[in-house]
Amino acid sequence: MAAMEVDPVNNHLQRKQSHYVSLDENFMIQKETYRGQQYSQIYFARLDLMRTLIYSLLPNWKPYLPVCTVLDLEEGKQCIIVGTLYKDMKLKPSILDEYSKERSATPLVKPHNFTHPDDYLILEDESGRVKLRGTVLSPSVYVTGNVVALHGKATGAGDYLVEDILEAGLPPQLELPYKSEEDKYVVFVSGLNVGSNSSNPLQFQLFVDHISGHLGDKKVQSIAAQIVQVVIAGNSVEVPRGLLNGQNLASKDQSRLSEPIKEVDILLTQIAAGIPLDIMPGPNDPANFSLPQQPLHRCLFPGSATYNTFRSCTNPHSFDLDNVRFLGTSGQNIDDLEKYSEANDKLAFLERTLRWRHLAPPAPNTLGCYPFTDRDPFLMESCPHVYFIGNQDRYETRLIKGSEGQVVRLICIPRFSETGTAVVLFLVIVVELEKSRMPCSQFWDPVQLMTT
Amino acid sequence: MAEMETLGILDEIQALVCDKLQVVSYKWLSRNFLVSSNAAKRLLQQFTEKHGSELEVVYSVSGWLKNNPSVYHIRLVSRPKLPEAKGEFDDNCSVHVYSVQVCIPKDPAALWNAEFVQAEELFKQPPTVVNCLRDNRFCGVINSFVKRNPEATSVNTAFLQAKSAGAPSSFRNNSAHQTDTIPLPQHKKIQQSSPNINLQSPNVVKDIKSESHVAGARDQGSKPSADKEKDPELPATKKIKGASGTGGSLASMWGRASTKSNPISATTEISDCAPNSVATAEAQIFARERVENESSDDDGENVKFKRASNGEGSRKRRVVFDFSDDEDECKDAVSLASPDPPKSKSFINPQESSKSAVLQKNNLNFVEQNKDDLMVKEETNIESKKLFTKESVVSNDKESGIFSSDKIESCIPQNDAVMKDEVINAAPNSPKRKKVFKTRIDERGREVTEVVWEGDEAEKKPDSSTIKKSDNGSVNTTVNRPSTTKKSPAIGGTAPSNPAGKAGNRKAGNKDPKQGNIMSFFKKV
Repeated sequence: MAAMEVDPVNNHLQRKQSHYVSLDENFMIQKETYRGQQYSQIYFARLDLMRTLIYSLLPNWKPYLPVCTVLDLEEGKQCIIVGTLYKDMKLKPSILDEYSKERSATPLVKPHNFTHPDDYLILEDESGRVKLRGTVLSPSVYVTGNVVALHGKATGAGDYLVEDILEAGLPPQLELPYKSEEDKYVVFVSGLNVGSNSSNPLQFQLFVDHISGHLGDKKVQSIAAQIVQVVIAGNSVEVPRGLLNGQNLASKDQSRLSEPIKEVDILLTQIAAGIPLDIMPGPNDPANFSLPQQPLHRCLFPGSATYNTFRSCTNPHSFDLDNVRFLGTSGQNIDDLEKYSEANDKLAFLERTLRWRHLAPPAPNTLGCYPFTDRDPFLMESCPHVYFIGNQDRYETRLIKGSEGQVVRLICIPRFSETGTAVVLFLVIVVELEKSRMPCSQFWDPVQLMTT
Repeated sequence: MAEMETLGILDEIQALVCDKLQVVSYKWLSRNFLVSSNAAKRLLQQFTEKHGSELEVVYSVSGWLKNNPSVYHIRLVSRPKLPEAKGEFDDNCSVHVYSVQVCIPKDPAALWNAEFVQAEELFKQPPTVVNCLRDNRFCGVINSFVKRNPEATSVNTAFLQAKSAGAPSSFRNNSAHQTDTIPLPQHKKIQQSSPNINLQSPNVVKDIKSESHVAGARDQGSKPSADKEKDPELPATKKIKGASGTGGSLASMWGRASTKSNPISATTEISDCAPNSVATAEAQIFARERVENESSDDDGENVKFKRASNGEGSRKRRVVFDFSDDEDECKDAVSLASPDPPKSKSFINPQESSKSAVLQKNNLNFVEQNKDDLMVKEETNIESKKLFTKESVVSNDKESGIFSSDKIESCIPQNDAVMKDEVINAAPNSPKRKKVFKTRIDERGREVTEVVWEGDEAEKKPDSSTIKKSDNGSVNTTVNRPSTTKKSPAIGGTAPSNPAGKAGNRKAGNKDPKQGNIMSFFKKV
């Protein structure tokens, strides 16, 4: 049947465009080799870089105090020491215990909190380590891997009594561009979990229809035409884990393995045909386990990878969109922090990672990490304007400010398969007072899809 | 005119909904009748006005909620609940018909099924076809900056792309018709053609196409293969490297020494051996490994080869059970394959035996392969080699991967006796003596790999049994070479075999009539 042109061609809306720059090179592992390198090298790189950083901050903090190494501590003398924190946790699961108790394939560990009132912190630099005491430093807030500067003095018992603490603080932030004439949206979604029992394909199809501009009347479609970027922050597919137990796969099981990813590909094709799309790997995706997770291979998406709008990205993922810097992960770093420390809400964890200037301090202690030898890619060099975390329970957001005028919008993206909610970020920059410019991502429109 | 067409469409919708009980959503309508989504919505609106009274209608309401203005909602409501839903939304919400159906399914996701099936059909079309799914032409919002490149960015990705594109269809095909053998030979053919790609690709494509049509299989395999003319070299070279890398040292020498085409032809020939091999998981695994190796940037050649041998090994084990546990029977089993030209046969064995030699490694490695490898599962019966040609063009389908597995598999059901026969036949024609690996299953179910020198055809068969009994645990194959041909099989045969197997051989009663059984001494007493 011939196509009926009920609509004149020029009645179509044009999608807005934006300038995209990927900043993922830092997270790409170019030559992945395991020559027996130890994790001490990444710790050393981290300590080295952050100590230089902190030394530069010390004159503004307490310039009158001398800085000394752990071994040179003298009893009773006030000084500053800089090093990596190590948290000794009573309840921290040890792989050796787990191995001895049950030698089956590890089931998904139920994430619960391993903190205990008896946890204590130790500061370690390349010369030695010292146990930390004092009420200023709360062990439930910090995790292994933070690099901090501590002001205090050594006690007779061989401990270090902490009086004050200095974190690296938010990194410097590039200035935001002036207000753009057009209003643009960026859509974040995560936790599609296609293939799991909880995912509802109709919900995701409605979402796809909406953002691509099929659904709704002209008004709705004109809103959709302002979406310039879609970011899928992990856990797009859920592979039936029961099949992956080391046995030969029967033919019908092999189809069960590949059906979810094929379904995702069809859906992503529908998105990529209209909007630039970034897909990040998550904890359940067919990507490597250790951070930084490498991009999902293009062969997984034979249909959507043909589009120039389709980008497979690392986890963590960083990019510039119209000179607004985005940084985010699929949630592993925050989930790990949640297991080993305490805070009021998830956004507090996000804020902490920013103030520590490190995306994932628990890596490689409790968070799987590639053994880098010469660098630590999780150090934040510049402060993002938007910092997002995927696969969380609820949608939450906050605007935080740094000491040098940095402003960051924090976003927790909920799992789509459970909540049916995606997050839309409204990129509008408002010039406030003539002097300072802040991102006005205040007008938040979480898109909630519900069916009857 | 437009009105007439509209009426025609409305009638068709009526037929679909009422007679076929299908859920007709606006997207399905737009793709089916090639109208824009907005037009489809209008059509559905007209339809509901005309016939909607006896049908269920689902509306989509999208807008801001009155009591929660910062959240944008999209909701699907059935007609009775529409006024209530509209009340919850702001006044400027958008309402339009989402779908019409005879009755609302209990599971709302069922509303999505018909649409998804249609999307899947469009998705599975060959990558070079631009359809309404791929260019989003019926959308209300168009983006002129989107470019689609069906060749993807690299040869490898294109290779994989076609492969995975072909996968679902071939997969379905196989699952639907368990005994559909046609796709396999098609794949096999493609595989073999890899070394000779440049020369004969057009022919191959044609053949494949005709085959697939004849078979009734989906022609996805054929079309992508046309695109992949660049790729055939890759699998060919990788294969060769794999042969040289992982096989036994002798096999590797063999692989390096021979020309490029040899291993390929060898593998191709293997498929000739067993026309009726049963598809097993190993075939798929091997195929998957092949795919994966070709696709990944890893140095997968050696690994691939190893895994191939693993797969083959486990296949071999299965085959033993299929036929019998009795070793005599194995030896006497008749080859079901039509005899191959001897020369080509001689090439097969090093390849195969080298694979089997590396057997022991890791049977379950393949399981951890990429899940994305949409390997075709069942390899149904492999047709005889008449479908087998040496034409080039590597198909990027999984099927091509399967082909290789088929090759191996086809040989496996044949017992070693068969292989020996082939080698024996081949021997006279070979210009010089060549060392050949043969693997067998001994009476305890263990794999025994023997090194046989070609040119010893006469002695091979009887010697095979003696090999087992041989006490020479450590075989010095280099010594064998200058020695007489009679000795070499005996000694060489024990070299790769499992020492335990050998011990077992010695202990167990040997049923070889030619050589005396030491246990017989005790029995007589």
